[in-house]
Amino acid sequence: MNKVILSMANLANIQQQFMDLLQNKPNDLIKHIAKQGELKASERLSIYQNAYTIRLTGVLEQDHEQLGKYLGDTLFDKMVAGYLKCYPSQNTSLREYGDNLPVFLSKTPPFKQHVILADIAFFERLLLKAFDAKEAETLTSQILESLKETDWPLLVLNLHPSVHLISFETSAVESFQALKNDKTPPSANTNKIRHWLIWRTPDKRTEYRSIDQEEFILLNLIKEKKNFSALCQSLTKAHKPETIAPLLINYINVWLSQGLLIKHT
Amino acid sequence: MHPFLGFGLGLRSSHFEEIITTKPDIDWFEIISENYMVEGGKPWYYLEKIRADYPIVMHGVSMSIGSVEPLNLQYLDKLKQLAHKVEPKWISDHLCFTSVGGINSHDLLPMPYTQEALTHLSARITQVQEYLGREMIFENVSSYLTYKESQMPEWIFLAELSKSTGCKFLMDVNNVYVSARNHDFDPMEYLNAIPHTSIAQIHLAGHQDFGTHVIDTHDEDVPNPVWDLFRQYATSLGPTSTMIERDGNIPPLSSLLNELSYAKSLVGDIWFNEQGNIKHG
Repeated sequence: MNKVILSMANLANIQQQFMDLLQNKPNDLIKHIAKQGELKASERLSIYQNAYTIRLTGVLEQDHEQLGKYLGDTLFDKMVAGYLKCYPSQNTSLREYGDNLPVFLSKTPPFKQHVILADIAFFERLLLKAFDAKEAETLTSQILESLKETDWPLLVLNLHPSVHLISFETSAVESFQALKNDKTPPSANTNKIRHWLIWRTPDKRTEYRSIDQEEFILLNLIKEKKNFSALCQSLTKAHKPETIAPLLINYINVWLSQGLLIKHT
Repeated sequence: MHPFLGFGLGLRSSHFEEIITTKPDIDWFEIISENYMVEGGKPWYYLEKIRADYPIVMHGVSMSIGSVEPLNLQYLDKLKQLAHKVEPKWISDHLCFTSVGGINSHDLLPMPYTQEALTHLSARITQVQEYLGREMIFENVSSYLTYKESQMPEWIFLAELSKSTGCKFLMDVNNVYVSARNHDFDPMEYLNAIPHTSIAQIHLAGHQDFGTHVIDTHDEDVPNPVWDLFRQYATSLGPTSTMIERDGNIPPLSSLLNELSYAKSLVGDIWFNEQGNIKHG
């Protein structure tokens, strides 16, 4: 029994040393490596160290292509080195590896001095989340048309699971767009809040568009499971009573055509 | 127990559209389990269509069967749910450890080949199979180092594991070649030491040769030494589900289909009679 416990401790020790090696922490794994052929033990260990760094760097490069362009190679490499150190992967899937990147950028100098960096990273992560979001059957105009007039005030609409609503005070999305088209990004600060809608279309494309304050409020109310009456109520300050219902129907028709609304789950 | 599915390919997203529109002559596909542990989106959309026409097997990279930390039950639950949806012919992962203390290396790190590691792995394999309620298949990994603690060669370790658990193997012939070059052993000694009845599947892949060592990259065409090894192995192995596994530098589907045809032609006279039926005995 003691022998087994001792041996398991050895196995655990080797595995811990290996993980420390990959993360560039102090370790003595080299003492456990047999001498073989022309390749030195240190060179054999470097193969694993390099593979670890290259693999995780590749994930961040792929997931944050426009952020990479915004930063340039030197700063991107500095960001990756810092992120790998602060946030080793705690997930079995690499899809989530960069989830903490916006937080890292918002807290770590010199990146934190430029709010737009965390904003671009967050926007890129939301695009990825929309891409992988749960499937749901989209709502059709036929279903709404079949409703009785008395059903409408209590009608609760549902957003597609891929829908994300986000506001930025920086030109994060405009910069993302410019960089994607190989153009120079605009000034980082816009001095006004911009609202954005991100979603996955019925043909599986990830889309985004700018939305005004009114549509942003309406979509947030739907997200909060507020009914049609509550949605109408939010429009009373800015619109004449007789125009509210047609205006809302107009919004709903746009949302239906873009696959933003789904059947009740 | 594991049927001969024929000759398959690793399913990669860049080929999704071509597969559903052209329905190429491929016997089956292998998916990377972790790529489908998401709720929806494009990968699922295509997988649903593809699995209507082709048998699917699942291949994971994150089970960390060799790790000394407790089994990741959250991961196993996801795997179970995935298997329920995909209905694969079988599920495989790797004989290695990938995570330590909740941190994932996303690499297939080699085990020391000790009696204690054997005992540990045997218990873990039994535990996982019981939890999943099905048999698992495990793949040999490439390696670049040998631990001083190792008490036996890798092939004896695998043969012993087969004896103690009855587990089946996914034999990656490229990985055997890569490790044979890196550790200077005879790859056929390795392949012949493992009971042929325990081989459920074969992977064929490419690597990068640096002269002093070889790195398993799976991002090149299958090179001649791996083809040669496959043909030699096939002679004694008998018909076994075989596929090309390409993980990086993904070429057009037509290029992989050519490699698959070549794999078939290499073993055609060994595994099949003149009518194209499987030879028995």
